[in-house]
Amino acid sequence: MYLIDSGISRLGKVIKASYIQREIASGKGLFHGLDARVKVLFLIFFVVIVSLKKEIMPEAAITFFVLAIAVLSRLDILSLYRKVFFFGFVFGFLIALPAALNVVTKGEVILPVLRFSKAYDFGIYHVPATIGITAEGVSTVVMLTLRVINSVSLSFLVLYTTPFADIIRALKVFKVPDAVLMIITLTYKYIFIFAKTIEDMHLAKKSRTAGGINNKEAREWIAGRIAFMFKKSRQRCEDVFNAMIARGFSDTVAIYGFKKMDKRDAAAGCVLFSAGIIFLWV
Amino acid sequence: MHIPDGYLSPQTYVPLYGASFVFWAVALRKFKDESAVKHIPYLAMAAAFSFLIQMFNIPIPGGTTGHAVGAGIAALLLGPWTAVIAVSVALIIQALVFGDGGITAIGANCFNMAVIMPFTSYWVFKLIKGNSSSVKRLYAAGFFAGYIGLSLSAIVTAVEFGIQPMIAADIDGKPLYAPYPLSVAVPVMALEHLLLFGIIEGVVTAMLLKYFLKHEPDAVYALRGSSK
Repeated sequence: MYLIDSGISRLGKVIKASYIQREIASGKGLFHGLDARVKVLFLIFFVVIVSLKKEIMPEAAITFFVLAIAVLSRLDILSLYRKVFFFGFVFGFLIALPAALNVVTKGEVILPVLRFSKAYDFGIYHVPATIGITAEGVSTVVMLTLRVINSVSLSFLVLYTTPFADIIRALKVFKVPDAVLMIITLTYKYIFIFAKTIEDMHLAKKSRTAGGINNKEAREWIAGRIAFMFKKSRQRCEDVFNAMIARGFSDTVAIYGFKKMDKRDAAAGCVLFSAGIIFLWV
Repeated sequence: MHIPDGYLSPQTYVPLYGASFVFWAVALRKFKDESAVKHIPYLAMAAAFSFLIQMFNIPIPGGTTGHAVGAGIAALLLGPWTAVIAVSVALIIQALVFGDGGITAIGANCFNMAVIMPFTSYWVFKLIKGNSSSVKRLYAAGFFAGYIGLSLSAIVTAVEFGIQPMIAADIDGKPLYAPYPLSVAVPVMALEHLLLFGIIEGVVTAMLLKYFLKHEPDAVYALRGSSK
């Protein structure tokens, strides 16, 4: 039952993430009031800039720039950066860490870790007599960690200041077809409905089970729930289709655009765009 | 398997966006013969299903647990083209909402997990199944569909990582993106997927297929003769 519990707790986190996103995104900070199109363009522009920068200083400057916007937007900095640093640590630092060694990144060893009596060669692999951390390797690890931190913090900054439906609608500026945007919006909604259904099924089973269940039973139960979910999703698909027809949907799917941007949005867009150009240039 | 931002150079992630775009366009065109209002809820439900498969931690014989990527079983149940859209939408939501996979890497992640994997799994299943209707052969086909689909997808991901030091390094030869060369990235990714994650994916795919064959054999697309 513990194994099933761990899966269900992941589903619980998904539901919680959606709830938190909706709550925080409806706040009243600096970034919350901006037009979603400005924020989505800002996100894409800056994520590309982050991927183009090749030196640590400009990357670090972007880190502080995003932090400043998050502070001005009155987001919960501790909670936001706990998540950002978790991603930075796991997907940036830990994955890149072996690249600090001279067996991966060539350069001058600044901190020897292991010494052998001589160098060894195994086919295409070369093991030097001294294995250690190089300055170039450290720079690579720091760079990758900062890139992950910056990209994740940019995503979360926009996510926590913009309702999800507005983010998807704003993708219209990239000429994404309305039908695709509707598929993403519907998917997002149904993920949470089905996640809740599975959580309820699990609680119902748990309350009826005395003692534990073995792995074979657990596998059968999970396979059964996934199959049930598949059946339910097909049934729900029919229901949604009938509901759409009943509400007068025609073959043309159209998502309404945004109102005209006001001066504040235009000014904010200009400031963010200029900041991006400066980061690109430095 | 989800590539974060910062590991792929623009000269890699831009073409991979292009490659994924081609598959998205073809997959969406496959549904053009049906009315738009009918295929939208169908694809959305398929994507939600594909997302949620990954949430289940399943006990694997031998003591370990794991969750499947699910693109293999999605291809067998829904068809490879539907799986392209379903898994892509799931990956886009994971990147935008959960920070799982980078935004610049959406094209690459979709190409690896929503294109390579469903098509490989589907054709491996068809190849091993052949004209046989033996249940054991169907389970074996399900296992290898998941196993080979995930392993190949991982090897393609490793190649994308491994070429970075060759195509994006500074004048001193210091890698600017993923630092591991092909000689490190490919063996590491291949071994961990061939020896562990591929087996988990194969077991999960076979297990789900077994359940469907037993209770709802008509729901399995790969056992029908349709072309979508």
